[in-house]
Amino acid sequence: MKIEIKGICHNFGGQQVLRNIDYTDEFNSLAVIGPSGAGKSTLLRIIGGLLIPSTGELILDNKKISFSEKALWEYRRNISFVFQSHGLFEHMTACENITLPLIHTFGYNKTDALQSAVKLLSRFGLFEEKNKYPSQLSGGQQQRIAIARAVAASPNLMLLDEPTSALDPELTSEVLDMLGELQNEGLKTIIVTHEMGFALKACEKAIFICDNTIVESGDSAEIFTNPRSEQLKAFLDKVLEWSI
Amino acid sequence: MKRFRNPTLINKILSALAVAVIFAALVWISMKRIGLNLDFSTLFEYKKRLFDGFKMTIIISFASLIFSMVLGMLIAMGQRSRILVICYACRAYIQIIRGTPLLVQIYFFFYIVGTAWGIDNRYIAGVIILSIFEGAYISEIIRGGIESIDKQEYEIARSIGLTDIQTFRLVTFPILMARILPALAGQLASIIKDSSLLSVIAVIELTQTTQEISAANFQMFENYIFLGLLYFILTFAVSMLTKWLEGRYKHENRD
Amino acid sequence: MKRMAKIIIMSALSVLIMIAALTGCTASKANNTLIVGMELAYPPFETKDTNGAPSGISTDLANDLAKYLGRPVKIQDIAWTGLIPSLQTGKVDVVISSMTITDERKKTVDFSDPYAHSYLALLVNKKSNVTTAADLNKKGIVVDIKIGTTANTYADKNLTNATVNVLASENACVTEVVQGKADVFIYDQLTIYRQNQSNLDSTKAIMIPIQDKEDWGMAVKKGNTELLNKINTFIAKYKSDGGFEKLTQKYLPQEKKTFDSLGFPWFFD
Repeated sequence: MKIEIKGICHNFGGQQVLRNIDYTDEFNSLAVIGPSGAGKSTLLRIIGGLLIPSTGELILDNKKISFSEKALWEYRRNISFVFQSHGLFEHMTACENITLPLIHTFGYNKTDALQSAVKLLSRFGLFEEKNKYPSQLSGGQQQRIAIARAVAASPNLMLLDEPTSALDPELTSEVLDMLGELQNEGLKTIIVTHEMGFALKACEKAIFICDNTIVESGDSAEIFTNPRSEQLKAFLDKVLEWSI
Repeated sequence: MKRFRNPTLINKILSALAVAVIFAALVWISMKRIGLNLDFSTLFEYKKRLFDGFKMTIIISFASLIFSMVLGMLIAMGQRSRILVICYACRAYIQIIRGTPLLVQIYFFFYIVGTAWGIDNRYIAGVIILSIFEGAYISEIIRGGIESIDKQEYEIARSIGLTDIQTFRLVTFPILMARILPALAGQLASIIKDSSLLSVIAVIELTQTTQEISAANFQMFENYIFLGLLYFILTFAVSMLTKWLEGRYKHENRD
Repeated sequence: MKRMAKIIIMSALSVLIMIAALTGCTASKANNTLIVGMELAYPPFETKDTNGAPSGISTDLANDLAKYLGRPVKIQDIAWTGLIPSLQTGKVDVVISSMTITDERKKTVDFSDPYAHSYLALLVNKKSNVTTAADLNKKGIVVDIKIGTTANTYADKNLTNATVNVLASENACVTEVVQGKADVFIYDQLTIYRQNQSNLDSTKAIMIPIQDKEDWGMAVKKGNTELLNKINTFIAKYKSDGGFEKLTQKYLPQEKKTFDSLGFPWFFD
């Protein structure tokens, strides 16, 4: 997938959250890393069509995205978003959460939607959980169901906002495993994450955002092992300080 | 030797009985002190009127519940409107209605507004007045419920491509209903009791019937104790229904 | 341990209740005050002055009765339907509230000899077709009455076809007739006359009595013959001393003239 971000800036409540975001590249999987508050989630939401930037342009696969609510509604249909936590509707079962967009956004009939949902759940070992409510599920299970919902309608692109940050460490790997599998099947992803190992091994390209702008970007293999900027070096040192 | 095997059920029954006995004893002793002898058989000859009044109270209460919920929902949404006139009108309505006694509203509406706009039927006027009154309280309950819904729920709905109407139907409304159910049930109990005040415009519901009977047979105590009992039966039924409904919705709430 | 605590609390409560029951079976009044009950919503018989203190004909009567009995007096403002229950529970000693002596009421309280009498009359909406009592009992006629009054009894007995609204407030009844929500309000002649005078453009008064005269009496708790006898003696003396004429002159001189010119019997005759 080709992404072109040109001069995106975003102000919110008097603060400049993003400035001069410029990035053009072809990618299959893109990791967005950086310190908290740098604007990563904001950028992700802009790419996801959930937020209209103050200025700038976004072009995906040579199609310019128009920043009107109506156009964005169309755009969002082909993009999936996975939130950091509480991404499922509390008043619906796991299965219903997955079938909801299929039925109401994509017009599947109930049987087809149910079939797709059950297939996905079974594939990822969640069949037993299909009639449970989010409050009865672990964080890891909730996230995996959120991802299942995200892929159910075969989106062009999936965006994930720190999908494992809110999880207990031992549940992280089951989520990352699922993601890795989907990526291998060809799902295009952009993922904001603190999991450096995953960013390096599973994501082809990476962007480092610091002080509200892109400081460094490129192949993840490159920038992780040979960080060029001072900020990225400092960031990696800090993050990997306590790694085994 | 201590025995812990299931003392709870016997304990529960005995404790409940003890409470009932204490309450009954207090009432009975109070009556003996003022030399009062109650004869409940006098109520028998009025059983048709009492039953009709009971039915009317139920009808008025449920009609008011429905209208006040619709009104409450409209006002709650109106309060969030970006058109200032609507927003202010809704806020003023809530302040005034919640800030004045129902009795005043009954007289004002029936004798002034009702007469001006030709609403002469007491029962219709009664339901309208009660709905307007309870609607203000219900709108605040709904507003609290809406504000308690996490903003992220709306973001999720947007991200999966739901329209505003779909979001309301599939997300906002079900979550809202589950959350405000206990408060709504309490409001229904209030409606049932507040309906008794419609007696001042001679709406023939339970309280008015009892007042008329009292005026004729002077058995004030028998009549009003029985009246209290009937209202209690109604409100108790409502609270039992609510407990059952809450049980059904419980697993859906985020704990 | 918890079980012991429960048993102790239960026993303590039971003992407390028993003590409360045995002691103080009858609370005797500390002083000698004559407590008189009346509904202060019936001018000029029972009403309040500008300071909110009881005033009117019945207040004067109560004061004079207490003076006769040599006791201090206290007047209690009680809603009409609560007057008889107050006697039954001993909250008041006597009710002087322009109350008609009826057989129903005699079952629960004892009445003195009559000290006045009145008749029922009609306040009619000007646009209504009602001209006599005979016009009342027709389908579609709306009749308002105040709860617990003799008009209430009259309506229950005779007005089976008309729509009867029983209200607690005399003012509400009058308002309904003025607004046309009701055709007729049945009440005593004097009040009907006065309300008609205040609402000449919307109401007419049909002063012809619709049934036999009603006697007013003072009510005491059933069996209180001692007080009752004293009251009867007082009433007889008051009549012969011209006390009622004085009351008429003080409160209702204009109305007496009107009643005389219309040929209606006066309250205290």
